[in-house]
Amino acid sequence: MSSPIKLESNSTFLPTPVEEQTTPNLRIAHPTALRTTGLYKSFGKSNVKVPVLKGVDLDIPTGQFTAIVGQSGSGKSTLLHLLGTLDAPDKGEIWFRDERIDSLPFKRRDQLRNQEFGLIFQFYHLLPELNVLENVLVPKMVELGFWSYFRQKKALKARANELLEMVGMGHRLKHRPSQLSGGEMQRTAIARALISNPSILLADEPTGNLDGQNGEEVMKTLMDLTQSEDLTIVMVTHDDRIAETADHIIRLVDGRVEEPQR
Amino acid sequence: MYKLLLSWRYLKTRFIALASIVSVTLGVATLIVVNSVMAGFVDEMKDRLHGILSDIELADPGLGEIPWPDLHVKEIERVVGDDLEAITTIVRVPALLNLKFRERQWTQQIILMGIDEKTYGEVTKFHPFVMNDHKKNEISFKLEEDGYEKKLDHPTFGSVGWPYRRAKAAEKKELERLFGPAASMPRVALPVEETIQADQPADFQLQLADLPSAAPNLNEMAQEAETTSGGLTELSAFDPGSMHRDQLSAEEMFDPERDQYTGIILGLAISNRKYVDADTGETKDAYMIRPGDDVQVTLPTAGPNPSPVSENCTVVDFYSSNMHEYDSSFAFMPLKSMQKLRGMIDPSTGNSTVSAIQIRLKEGADTAAIRDKLIQRFPAEQYPYIIQTWQDTQRPLLSAVNLEVTILNILLFLIIAVAGFGILATFYMIVVEKTKDIGILKALGAPSRGVMSIFLGYGLSLGAVGTGAGILLGLLFVFNINGIAGIVQRITGQEIFDPTIYYFSEIPTIINPTMIVWVAFGAILIAVLASVLPAIRAARMHPVKALRYE
Repeated sequence: MSSPIKLESNSTFLPTPVEEQTTPNLRIAHPTALRTTGLYKSFGKSNVKVPVLKGVDLDIPTGQFTAIVGQSGSGKSTLLHLLGTLDAPDKGEIWFRDERIDSLPFKRRDQLRNQEFGLIFQFYHLLPELNVLENVLVPKMVELGFWSYFRQKKALKARANELLEMVGMGHRLKHRPSQLSGGEMQRTAIARALISNPSILLADEPTGNLDGQNGEEVMKTLMDLTQSEDLTIVMVTHDDRIAETADHIIRLVDGRVEEPQR
Repeated sequence: MYKLLLSWRYLKTRFIALASIVSVTLGVATLIVVNSVMAGFVDEMKDRLHGILSDIELADPGLGEIPWPDLHVKEIERVVGDDLEAITTIVRVPALLNLKFRERQWTQQIILMGIDEKTYGEVTKFHPFVMNDHKKNEISFKLEEDGYEKKLDHPTFGSVGWPYRRAKAAEKKELERLFGPAASMPRVALPVEETIQADQPADFQLQLADLPSAAPNLNEMAQEAETTSGGLTELSAFDPGSMHRDQLSAEEMFDPERDQYTGIILGLAISNRKYVDADTGETKDAYMIRPGDDVQVTLPTAGPNPSPVSENCTVVDFYSSNMHEYDSSFAFMPLKSMQKLRGMIDPSTGNSTVSAIQIRLKEGADTAAIRDKLIQRFPAEQYPYIIQTWQDTQRPLLSAVNLEVTILNILLFLIIAVAGFGILATFYMIVVEKTKDIGILKALGAPSRGVMSIFLGYGLSLGAVGTGAGILLGLLFVFNINGIAGIVQRITGQEIFDPTIYYFSEIPTIINPTMIVWVAFGAILIAVLASVLPAIRAARMHPVKALRYE
């Protein structure tokens, strides 16, 4: 196991979790959005375990764009799933601001995914039975009860409309995902990830399934959003050109974080 | 919110699931139809069974007798107390009925009941089942002038009652006058015009030729006069052969044009035969006798050495409870006549005996409890009586019907259970198909319980839709069951509901709302239970694995 390697840009001002508790829990003020220490994760049955992450330590700085790169099978997506509480590590800790989130009860994890993290996937993962507008509203439907959703319906729809306008999907509100192109679906997925005003956007190869032009458009949308919505973006990608645009690059090699490049 | 939306969308877009609930619909509809028809049948049957039977009967088995019926009645009144509505005594014996139809003697076995004109009608429903309008309010064994038309308005009846009897007797007299008392002759082309009343239908002449009129046989007539002297309307003591024709004046002579024998009310099925007309396919009745005809009954005397006695009777009415078992075997006579005939009256003391005492209880009285009280008062060690409620008497039939209903319900519910497995399989496939959606929902923060309730809600809505459609279909079927039976009959040529067997003109149905609620509840429950397993599978799905699912 290698010793924890901190990201260069953060190493000077990174406070310990104890110190964090003394400062008011403000979204912008907190320098580290996500931090992991000694993450281990392996898959497979009890006898034949395939280790995927072999001790990952990293910090994701707030309000910046961090790219996680690496070859296929290096554990990028697994790491992102752990960060997004979709999965739990075998060993190690994950901190979201000053809250340890790797072993939270399901309820709180669901809440985090619903309200704090915006998730974007390579295959868009829109619900085929719902139209564009409804897909964007799903996180809100999950969050709110029947009556409170109904009470806020107008405002929520306005917000969804606004987001869809922002991602350039304002003209296709009533379309089903099957009627959309890949780029359109991904832009819808971005709008969905933003409807709950999350603090962190976790994107798993958002352009992996798109052609060059569509991929660029999606990336541009994401970059614009980072500026305007003041988002922390963590993006898994194997496209070096995209990684180049990131503020930080974390390279995973064989389940460990390689020396930082910048 | 998303649960409702997604349940609804799945319902709208997965028509295969709707197909899987067709079995629920059919199961529910069948259950409702079968239960309604069975309830209708059972109710009608119970009504008819109960109609002729008293609530409780205290009977001496076989030909046995209950002595001092008055004392028994008093004692029963005391034991039953306030719950007693009415009480009557009857004589009931197996007997032979001999009737003449188209110059042939027909003998058949019947159960002859001697009933009390005053009290029997209070204990059982007797009046509604007789044909004559004048006998609706009181039991009477007198032949009527009219009142038969409403129920016996049938082409084979030219006339019924006294007009018929007079015409028949006049015809017989005329035959005797023309050809002599011993003449035996063909019964066609008779000079009957004078005897036919003007208002009788034109085809009466032809029918009259077919009448079961007695052959003018002198020997037989003499015998008749001898054996029937005890059966005159004034009911003299039974003493066959004590009177001789030459000792009677003309006024005292029995004249069938003017007099009737002891009245007898016959079960309708004793006197008629139902048959299906080969040409039209309609069910028709053929009557062997009609009110106004004379018949002969032969019954055993009471006492230690039973011997047969015969009595001439005049059919005064028919009795039709629509229970074939009763209508084909029961005949009713006045109690006193029966007692005299059978020698049940002690000549020295005037005390009579009966064979059963029947009781009717007030509405809502506990029949079984009162039966038990009576059994306690008349214990079997001392009194060889059979004390039964009407349900006891018909227990084999009632329990057979109950068993039938229970088994039918179980079988039909199995249909819905099968439908349940259909839903389970379909749902499981839908859950597998929706694996990725489940992963998405979980990734977006939907709790496992929420995901589970999508599929439970889906199952509930499918169950509700299937059940609702089933109830609608079932009720529509029940409301139009007779029309449907007719259509099926026309298509298949097979009579669905044969009135010669059932004696119902229509299929009786009773729709029981409680039954419908239970059926609906059961069906929805099965649909929900069938969706539990797939829903649990959906809830337990790991979001990452679900998202990776292809």
